[in-house]
Amino acid sequence: MSPWGIESLTGIRRYGRLIRTLMKVSLMRHMAYRPHFFMMILGKIIRMALLFFFFQAIFFQVNRIGDWTFDQVLLLFATFHIADYLISITFHRNLAFGLPRKVQTGDLDSQIILPVNLLFFVSLEDLDMIDFFSFLPTLGFLLYVFYRLDFAFTWVQVLIYILLLANALIFLYAVILLVATTCFWTTQSFGLAVIFDNLMRIGRYPLDIFEGFWKALFIYFLPLVFIAQLPSQALWKTLSWPFILYAFLITGGFLALAFRFWKWGLKSYLSAST
Amino acid sequence: MKYALKIFHVLRLVLIERLIYRVNFALEILSGILSSLIIVLLWMAIFRSSDQPLIGGYTLAEMVTYLLGGGLINSLILTTAENPEASRSIQDGSLSFFLIQPLSPYWLWFFRDLGSKLFYFFLGLLGYLAVIFFFRAHLLWWASRAHFLFFLLSLLLASLLQFFLFEGLSLLSFWVENTYGIRFTMRVILEVVGGAIIPLSFFPLALQKIFLWLPFPYVVYLPMRIYLGKISLEEVQLEIVREIFWIAALAMVNLVLWRKGVHHYVSMGD
Repeated sequence: MSPWGIESLTGIRRYGRLIRTLMKVSLMRHMAYRPHFFMMILGKIIRMALLFFFFQAIFFQVNRIGDWTFDQVLLLFATFHIADYLISITFHRNLAFGLPRKVQTGDLDSQIILPVNLLFFVSLEDLDMIDFFSFLPTLGFLLYVFYRLDFAFTWVQVLIYILLLANALIFLYAVILLVATTCFWTTQSFGLAVIFDNLMRIGRYPLDIFEGFWKALFIYFLPLVFIAQLPSQALWKTLSWPFILYAFLITGGFLALAFRFWKWGLKSYLSAST
Repeated sequence: MKYALKIFHVLRLVLIERLIYRVNFALEILSGILSSLIIVLLWMAIFRSSDQPLIGGYTLAEMVTYLLGGGLINSLILTTAENPEASRSIQDGSLSFFLIQPLSPYWLWFFRDLGSKLFYFFLGLLGYLAVIFFFRAHLLWWASRAHFLFFLLSLLLASLLQFFLFEGLSLLSFWVENTYGIRFTMRVILEVVGGAIIPLSFFPLALQKIFLWLPFPYVVYLPMRIYLGKISLEEVQLEIVREIFWIAALAMVNLVLWRKGVHHYVSMGD
């Protein structure tokens, strides 16, 4: 049985329907406060625009950061935000902040008995439709960066880019699940989640410009290069196959570890509800 | 004296509340420090890539000092930036309870905000000492004693400015059901236009001119320019007067919003 409990085609259809319903509920909830909904989207677009200005401001002063040109840094930046939005829409807040809250209040009890796989439900319960609508301009921005790069890449490179982006999402899922699961023992892991949030944001910078300990840390021990650097590099240079394989293997390892840790954590869960 | 005692109790309560979740807050501060550390390392790499000793009018030492100082101000002011308490109390009706207390809710939120900032500042300062030690070779002392005193004053004023800015938005809850979106957008703008991420001198001149007309640069950009001595003492005084004008204007807006809001406020329930 898969950790998410989806075994057959019927199961996939059932979970597909469930995701549609969760999206609908989320949209209805957000649309109850329309000015808030639109302000949040506007705020996120402004944030992207200002960060774009941040990089542009740097490149007004220098031609390159390490080996990276302005367009390459923009590609890295756009790729990072694509990954960031995709996890924000889906599992990020549900796991990092929602799960500890449920463990703390005991609300997890009522979800354990639902006829749906628990990990699936706690990961995707609240699909963020604000981020979904903020994601669309980011996708447009990525296409703009492709245009700036003259679409100078092959279909194979695009395929590797997509595969590495998928790998990044799985890697982030595994790490966030690992961090969130600690809440079964600590009953709160917001602090760790905030640390990881800030660490993750480092992924929007070219990490190979660091030296010594930091370079080793971000490439090998906590490979934040998987998030955006590796996928974006796939579009403008030839990555070595062993390194691509290394990325998939490490992600697989993190995911297996996260699933085991989740099961262990669940066994240690002591209900806090009255 | 009686009033001072009330304020003391409010500050004490904030400290007790924060200490309950001290590990989380310490981790939050630690993550802020990590971010600053990485940004500094990034800038060191940028300086290595460039053959110029000055980038955007800043030397490496000035940039490291600016970023670490900005990071510390960030943990003092921006970590608590969104002032959700007023908004929450108005939305859930708990304002009714506060209205009959011997301290005005508005001043209660003000002193709670002050308590939070003090807590974050001292916690942040402790953490930043390690980073400051790490980068001690690149750090600069203040330009002069007078600059340092003005720097401290500008920090105090920045803290007031931030409070009135966000409290005003929170008070919109009297008319709008959810103000989180507006506060989020304001925080995003404040971080960039306030100079918390990068000195404003890096932006194109046209953008710089627009930004400098707004109140946001008083939060990080002005204090750090004063500290580094990038602005003469005469100019500092002028800027401080402008900042006080902004604070007074925002305080007036807050006062009007509060008075009109309380008259407009309806609370239902048991």
